Amino acid sequence: MLSKQRNRPGLRAVFIASLLICIFVADTVTDFEIAFAVFYIAVILSAIGFLSTRGVVFLASVCVGLTAISLLLTKQGSFEAGVFNCGISASAIGVTTYLALKTVAAQAAAHDAQEQLARVARLTRLGALTASIAHEVNQPLAAVVTSADACRRWLAHEPPNLAKARQAAERIVRDASRAGEVIARVRGLARNEPSRREPLDLNEAAIEAVAMAQHEIERNGVALQWHLAEDLPAAMADRVQIQQVIGNLLLNALEAMAGLPSFRRELEISSSRDADGNIVLAVADSGAGMKPSVLEHAFDAFWTTKETGMGIGLAISRSIIEAHGGRIWATSEPRMGAVFRFSLPAAGKDTP
Amino acid sequence: MTAAGPTHEPGTALVHVIDDDEAVRTAIEDLLASVGLSVRSYGSTRAFLEAAPVDGPACLVLDIRMPGQSGLEFQQQMARTGLRLPVIFITGHGDIAMSVKAMKNGAIEFLTKPFRDQDLLDAIQHGIEKDRLRLEEDEATATLQACWRTLSPGERDVLPLVVRGLLNKQIAGLLDVSEITVKVRRSQVMRKMQAKSVADLVRIWDRLQPKT
Repeated sequence: MLSKQRNRPGLRAVFIASLLICIFVADTVTDFEIAFAVFYIAVILSAIGFLSTRGVVFLASVCVGLTAISLLLTKQGSFEAGVFNCGISASAIGVTTYLALKTVAAQAAAHDAQEQLARVARLTRLGALTASIAHEVNQPLAAVVTSADACRRWLAHEPPNLAKARQAAERIVRDASRAGEVIARVRGLARNEPSRREPLDLNEAAIEAVAMAQHEIERNGVALQWHLAEDLPAAMADRVQIQQVIGNLLLNALEAMAGLPSFRRELEISSSRDADGNIVLAVADSGAGMKPSVLEHAFDAFWTTKETGMGIGLAISRSIIEAHGGRIWATSEPRMGAVFRFSLPAAGKDTP
Repeated sequence: MTAAGPTHEPGTALVHVIDDDEAVRTAIEDLLASVGLSVRSYGSTRAFLEAAPVDGPACLVLDIRMPGQSGLEFQQQMARTGLRLPVIFITGHGDIAMSVKAMKNGAIEFLTKPFRDQDLLDAIQHGIEKDRLRLEEDEATATLQACWRTLSPGERDVLPLVVRGLLNKQIAGLLDVSEITVKVRRSQVMRKMQAKSVADLVRIWDRLQPKT
């Protein structure tokens, strides 16, 4: 089992604490005339992005406090200069904290705006595409339905007008196959990016996909756990498509936990091999789970429980996984969240 | 453009279908033929305008999305040019805004493809009935206008005063003629305008007024 995420934040905390102590000691042993305490801004800068806004502000006040304490502990030099230097250091810490927090907030806002824009653009494109496909399909469909109605009415005549009815039936066949052609064209459109199958390390693909969603995960305050099986065989798969599936499952899991208090938001990603030798990836959330009636339809196209959802994320995921000869399914146990799993055949096994 | 109208006789009801999709056009033509309606269809609004107008009640089945002029634009153009035909819209994908606009501009029905045949036939029947009434009214007004033209200037002066309910004596005073003259002109007016009573004459006068 690998454990990637956990030790890194600890290391950083230790680093910040030791920096804090070093500066305090140095500030105390040097005399009043040396404004050593300005180096506390290094502590603040390394804590940005690691601690929350409130944590950074708290750390800044600790730094200011330590500056004042070492002023009292320092023995050598002019006390007046020391008070002066202490003031300069305190303002430097304050200004740095303020500016750094501002920058971080601005970055987050910019990131949010960008993401929203991308989402809107995606939906708009999809909306326009849907409308034009709907029109293209509705046209022959309208002809089929109307011809069928006409056919019925010719047959109901007394005596039935068989010649006219046959003509109508022939038109139905022609227009129905035209509708079929439209569908075939749409399919071709969706397939225009040929999938590139290459040996794929599923663990690696998952770690990369999570890295792409890292910002979302952090922003939602979700604790992430990895349980990746070592020595997994490679799968023959299209890396980008599989990562789209993983990314979709991740975002679904985050949305499922959005209503929970932050300490209960847990995401678990695990990989394993099943009895048939297939590679399985599981994404488990600690959300409310799903009712059996929901589970049944979760992968249907245009079926969604979300108010703003389109109901195509999981449907697309299923198409991708099934095209790879795999399977995707969801389970949900009482008092636990939902678990989405997909399996892919290991390379070397026959893929359809 | 297809001409499906050899069976059409002047004066009987006629349905015009404008749709750029030939399959839809043919299907609708056949559906209407199967219930005995006369129909002519066109691939564009221009083809429709180029075809000679036919007398008799008619109604228009109009597709919204067409290359060139859209159905909604054509409806507005019809209003501007005084082409008064009841319109039934059919569309492959319509939204609420579109249908509201169409109905506000006087459309009879707004159907999304694929539609139920009965819905289309009901709308067409409604449209033709409406057009028939309009034509009858136009004809009656034209007859009355012809009657009006047969009145002499003196009689034309008398008519509005009779309608206002004035007595012969008062009218004679106002027009500065004898009461006998008023009586003669009045009976001429009643005869020429084919009015059976003063109330009838009031109704006819009302009809001759330009509508606002």
